[in-house]
Amino acid sequence: MSERTSTVTETERLARAALSRIAEPGHPTLTDAVHQLGGATVLGDLQRQAADRALGEDLADRIATADPLKELERAASKGVRFVVPGDTEWPSALDGLVTAPHLHERGGVPIGLWCRGPLQLDEAVEHAVAVVGSRSATTYGGAVAGDIAAVLARESWTVVSGAAFGIDQSAHRGALGQRGPTVAVLACGADRAYPTAHRSLIDYIAGVGLVVSEAAPGCAPTRIRFLARNRLIAGLSRGTVVVEAAVRSGALNTASWTAGLGRPVMGVPGPVTSAPSAGVHQLIRARDALLVTSGEEVLEAVGPMGLFLLPEPREPERPRDRLDPVQRQVLDAVPLHQAVESRSIARTAGIAHARTREALVVLHRAGLVVHALGLWRQLEPET
Amino acid sequence: MVATTHTVSLQGAVGHVVDVQVDLSDGLITTALVGRADTSIIEARDRCRAAVTNSRFRWPTTRRITILLSPADLPKRGPHFDLAIAVAVLAASDKQFPLDSLAGSAMIGELTLDGRVRCVPGVLPMTMAAAARGITRVYVPEPQAAEAAMVRGVSVFGIRSLGQVMALLTGDEVPEAPEVEPISGSPLLTWRGEERLEDLDMSDVIGMPDARYALEVAAAGGHHLMLTGPKGSGKTTLAERIVGLLPDLDDDESLELTAVHSLSGSLQAGATRLVRPPFRAPHHSASRTGILGGGTGRVRPGEVSKAHLGVLFLDEFPLFPADVVEALREPLEAGEISISRGEEDATYPARAMFVFACNPCRCGEYHPYSPDHQCSCGEVKRREYRQKISGPIADRIDITRFVEPLTEQQAKAQDLPFDQRETSALIRARVTAARRRQRARYEGQPWRLNVHVPGPALRERWPLTDPAMDRLDAEVHAGRLTRRGAVRVHRVAWSVADLAGLQRPGREELDVALRLRRATPLLLQSIPAHPALSVVEGSA
Repeated sequence: MSERTSTVTETERLARAALSRIAEPGHPTLTDAVHQLGGATVLGDLQRQAADRALGEDLADRIATADPLKELERAASKGVRFVVPGDTEWPSALDGLVTAPHLHERGGVPIGLWCRGPLQLDEAVEHAVAVVGSRSATTYGGAVAGDIAAVLARESWTVVSGAAFGIDQSAHRGALGQRGPTVAVLACGADRAYPTAHRSLIDYIAGVGLVVSEAAPGCAPTRIRFLARNRLIAGLSRGTVVVEAAVRSGALNTASWTAGLGRPVMGVPGPVTSAPSAGVHQLIRARDALLVTSGEEVLEAVGPMGLFLLPEPREPERPRDRLDPVQRQVLDAVPLHQAVESRSIARTAGIAHARTREALVVLHRAGLVVHALGLWRQLEPET
Repeated sequence: MVATTHTVSLQGAVGHVVDVQVDLSDGLITTALVGRADTSIIEARDRCRAAVTNSRFRWPTTRRITILLSPADLPKRGPHFDLAIAVAVLAASDKQFPLDSLAGSAMIGELTLDGRVRCVPGVLPMTMAAAARGITRVYVPEPQAAEAAMVRGVSVFGIRSLGQVMALLTGDEVPEAPEVEPISGSPLLTWRGEERLEDLDMSDVIGMPDARYALEVAAAGGHHLMLTGPKGSGKTTLAERIVGLLPDLDDDESLELTAVHSLSGSLQAGATRLVRPPFRAPHHSASRTGILGGGTGRVRPGEVSKAHLGVLFLDEFPLFPADVVEALREPLEAGEISISRGEEDATYPARAMFVFACNPCRCGEYHPYSPDHQCSCGEVKRREYRQKISGPIADRIDITRFVEPLTEQQAKAQDLPFDQRETSALIRARVTAARRRQRARYEGQPWRLNVHVPGPALRERWPLTDPAMDRLDAEVHAGRLTRRGAVRVHRVAWSVADLAGLQRPGREELDVALRLRRATPLLLQSIPAHPALSVVEGSA
């Protein structure tokens, strides 16, 4: 395999860095424009408009003061690199966002991604599943999320999630416990930690996995940025597992993005009385999410076709299962404790004596009935 | 000639000061002992006589000796009357004896034939009773002087022989006497002893945020706890660590507990006060008497009382005999246990946190959620087993947790390199703060912990917030909670609030309390400051 190199020009990279600082993440007009025309063109256009005073003062100011070179240097000093389309590290999975329908006025391919951590983004998400859910998860949800993530990790699949309390962190922990690759997508700058209580977790992921954000370093996590962020979690993964989500959970937004990308949405059920599972149940009932109960089932759904097939669960076969209906009827007529004549059995079964005798012989051979002195009884009660 | 000495008679944990009056008169030469004495006291006549003679005092052999133990209606038992009887006889027979030296003094001790003093159980509660009745000086066997000295406002004289007591009373030079054996020998073996418990720390426990938090709440409010789960899931591991989450006993509490242990004769010689809450874990094959108290001869406190102010752990709870389980209702509800036996009615304190543990079935392999469990019990046996748990006891348990064995992958997920496992000391600090809040709130009340607050008082003076109260009532109206259950949930909600430092429990605290009672999983967000939930920044 030949060493790939980035096809991105320095001008383009700097333009995109500037735009990333100027624009709100996932702003659909801008992401579409940049996707079609390139960052340099769009930035040039914006600068021209600013000069013509055709833009609002706010935006014009931000364009004027943008210093992408310094921006990238500052980011680098915090261990954050800027990855743009055309870079070898850019994951093709995000291309799907070009056509995915916009949600909450967010959408499109990101202008660039700020990454912190040793993993290569494209390699990390080549086989990746999003495991998401409610911040107000129960210990049940936490345990299930962790177990699913651990199974994925053992198969070298990457777990993609946010970094919130609840399911997000349980998923990361499950994967990290297996030393599996994990990617945390943040709504704030990749250099920041939100929630702050998760600083050690986020820094640890940045040490062994990857912390990714569409927002420039230093940016604060705002409500709208979480919605844009959810699109990335979906976009970077081959499918999304929702473990626990109340009816109005952000995890359902991620599920919508996944559905919009045409990728499998999976849901882990909980007790029907549990509020944190209600959103998942709706997802399964009304929005065709696939019900999954384990990491193996998740892999079966998202893995390459036929690679992770699970055997159909079935009860072990018992001798009784091989009988035909007449034989079964005769067997039911044979008493358990007291041996009787075959005529009596025929009467009870309501089957002709000759056919009953035939059946009894088969049953005897199968070890289901005992025959002695012309009398028949069942061998042992079925358990 | 009449002389009066004092000693103490115990009925359960209640002590009565008994006057021992001796009269010497002319008449038929005999020694009469009156005042409902039991055999061990009747025998005191012979012990005392020999002890007196062998201590080179003179026994009034030519007089009629009447020994009265009063109040006369109180049944009296125990060999510790010896000292008081012997001194009274000697005082009565000696015209020079300074009788005023006997006023305000109590004598506690058994005598040997050669006039030495032997240790007796219950010196501490006896001294406490004596002090409460205005006695200012007590004479006790020397090894037990430390025990008696725990009581404030009493001068304690540790003595070795009858001769020493007499010398102290008459102001003579105190003679030498051989040392007195302590009451209980030193234990030959220690295996599951206190030392082991001290080494147990919550930081040994990986994960289980749910159960850990349940333990913390239980410790904060003194709530009774049930841990169920398959074999090897860590029930015992958790239960043994609860006592480490409890703060040290305060002065009054420690005196109470030490007194109970003094009654049971389990205090070591030269014992200092017990300041750590006790942990008792009787086996299910232990006798009814051993667990509840009683016994032939002297009534002794059982394990429920020895666990007073600490933790009583009943492992494999459904295997305990049904009558023992039934009898546990009283201490669970009232914090004390009464033993009625023959003429004796003894009441011992039993305010322990009860921790029950049980397997999901007799063989311990059953798992309600896992389809591939290895249980060999069958549905009928399982139902029988479960029925032993349910019923009157279940309704009195505040917190129930299902403890699941951690799989390897779960353990790893909760023990990442940056995780700091919480130590018992850290949790104990929070529990102590929560208990301090309770103490301040219940200032002037006879109870200190949430678990002991009576239901009416709770509703009247310490209700939940209005919306939370409405929710609780709704649960009762819907039949999802008994009245008693509602009171218990209410108390647990207070403990949750106390841990969080809140002024009053609201809907969230109630939700946690309901989940704890119903054994449903907790919300991760309601479990504060656990590494698996929020990683504490830096280290304290």
